[in-house]
Amino acid sequence: MTRFPYSALSASRRQFLTWSGGAVAVGALATAGCSAPGDGAGSAKAADAAAGSSSGSKPLTRIGLDYPFTQLPLYSTLVKLSTAAAKKHGVSLLTTSDAGNADTQATNLNTWVSQKVPAIVSFPMVFEATESIAKAALDAGLIWVTYGGSLEHQSADIQFSFLKGGTLLGEAAAKWANEHLGGKGKVAFLTDSTIQLGRERTKGMIDAFTEHAPGVDVVAREQAIDPDTGLSKSRAVLAKHPDLNIILGVTDAAAYGGFKALQQAGRAKGDAKTFVGGQDGSAPSLLAIKQGTFYRASAALAPKDIASAIVDVPLAVAAGKANPGAEVPITLVQHGDTVRIDALLAQNA
Amino acid sequence: MTTATTTPADHLSPGLRAAGSGLNTMRRHPLLLVLALMVLVFQLTTGSFLDAGNLRGIATDAATLAIVAVPLALLVVSGYLDLSVGSTLALGGLVAGWLAGQQHQSPVVAVLGALAAGAAVGAVNGILCCHLGLSAFIVTLAMLAAVRGLAQQLFPLPLSSFGSGFAWLGGARIAGIDAPVVIAALVLVAGALFLAFTPAGRHVFAIGVNREAAYLSGINIRRAPFALFVVTGVAAALAGAIKASVLDSVVAGTSGAGFELTVLTAVLLGGVALTGGSGSVFGVLLGVLFLGCLQNGLTLLNVPTFWQQMAQGVALVAGAALASFGPRLTR
Repeated sequence: MTRFPYSALSASRRQFLTWSGGAVAVGALATAGCSAPGDGAGSAKAADAAAGSSSGSKPLTRIGLDYPFTQLPLYSTLVKLSTAAAKKHGVSLLTTSDAGNADTQATNLNTWVSQKVPAIVSFPMVFEATESIAKAALDAGLIWVTYGGSLEHQSADIQFSFLKGGTLLGEAAAKWANEHLGGKGKVAFLTDSTIQLGRERTKGMIDAFTEHAPGVDVVAREQAIDPDTGLSKSRAVLAKHPDLNIILGVTDAAAYGGFKALQQAGRAKGDAKTFVGGQDGSAPSLLAIKQGTFYRASAALAPKDIASAIVDVPLAVAAGKANPGAEVPITLVQHGDTVRIDALLAQNA
Repeated sequence: MTTATTTPADHLSPGLRAAGSGLNTMRRHPLLLVLALMVLVFQLTTGSFLDAGNLRGIATDAATLAIVAVPLALLVVSGYLDLSVGSTLALGGLVAGWLAGQQHQSPVVAVLGALAAGAAVGAVNGILCCHLGLSAFIVTLAMLAAVRGLAQQLFPLPLSSFGSGFAWLGGARIAGIDAPVVIAALVLVAGALFLAFTPAGRHVFAIGVNREAAYLSGINIRRAPFALFVVTGVAAALAGAIKASVLDSVVAGTSGAGFELTVLTAVLLGGVALTGGSGSVFGVLLGVLFLGCLQNGLTLLNVPTFWQQMAQGVALVAGAALASFGPRLTR
């Protein structure tokens, strides 16, 4: 009699699972063993517990960085630069892996609070939802630093004006439209209305542009934060408005998709009647700006400044300094800002 | 001696026969009617939907979806599933971009490197699902996360500037048609021929309908699905290389994110049963075009974001209902 193969496989499958489980366990132990001396977690935890971080004058040995958008290139850059900055102060940096999910972020933050990680720097995806966690952290005697905004319960904050970033880009594009298009033309906005950061950037960008260039026709406001979506949305807009002059993006990634759509529609790289701009200061966009293409501007944050603030602000709180918070500057990068572009590219390398 | 037989249809005029054939196709693929109506509405409301430039844009956007949807559909017909295609697409694009941009390899080497990466992911999926009998849902979901993590670990920063040679893959025109569209057409034809004219194609249906019965009929029930896992991985990596070429950049964290659900939606809209055993490549083509036209038309109409999402949801349910009430295509 013929036997169905999967029933015959059961023994080998069990073996496979047993061996796999064993391998995973050994790997996990090895990983734990490897990481322990490097980050000094065990000894640091004891030191922190003894220090009682709430006293405000004891040295910090660990800082937890909770940056939720792990899918973004900035995450890797920030972790690398922050780790290096922390090391200079003899501090080890812990990180969460939220994968851009607010629920996962809340879980990870609660874990840190229960584990009494002495200082937490968190970029809340939903500020209102994070308020109670921040309160719990303060109640537990921990340092809470809010990144990218402010909470009612916090030790300090690291501020960026996302609104200002959008405003800088909108004003620059409007100025260009007035100078090169006589205040006429067509603009498409690639926006984001899903998270607070995106909404602020979008508002700043659109309000500033429409205020300073009221004669330019707004032909589209499309949700796009990644290059694929930016490309396909811009293609569709270009099919209806082939004479589109300006694409402004809530992110550089989306704007870069628009940049490619215009090129594929036959627009020359340096076309004098076209303007594309974005926000973030991402490497492909910075390169396009540096090369003198019609990708003309990006509202950029310097990762090194952010990384320094991630370490310096909790240290300042722990040292009991007055006004320990920081505001990281955002600047507009345009063609000709070669030194700044090179510096940003080096930080992203 | 041969005997000529006649049917009532033979007495009809060619025009009536064509109309009958069209109606039969419509009955077998109700999504075709929805698609036609949608195109009509978009053309009447926007006035530019059927412009050559817009159709070219839709075709180019839909090409990468079709390239992955065809092998994935065959895999689903055989009773399996691959949810890792989004991450495999990212890995393929990154490997191709890295080889072309940073290692200055020829475009051929870059694409072959991407295909090898995709084949490796597909082979792991195939071994775990077909040879060890693990759940395809769990295995490929795990691979979705694992491959994305691997891609981000290997390439944490965006890659860009891949050179003019590599740009050919996404930007060249062959006989006036964009290269990705030509590649997608070849994949569609190959998939249709495979299903219709090869024993392995028939085996795919047989395995999908009843794996044990297929085995008892002497069919190797592991070989075809394993090969389809590998081909699906290769196709996803190829799609990633094409996207990297079109955008001249690729980001590990975001490239292909959510693509697995889009491609699976196209496959299911096309009438492929998630339980296996039925489906057609023509149906998959309709599913791909439906999604492409819907997205494009809503953008042309400048529909606000959240209304777009709602409209997409409603249209997908309507399309899925029609596909579900249509006949099941087992050959």
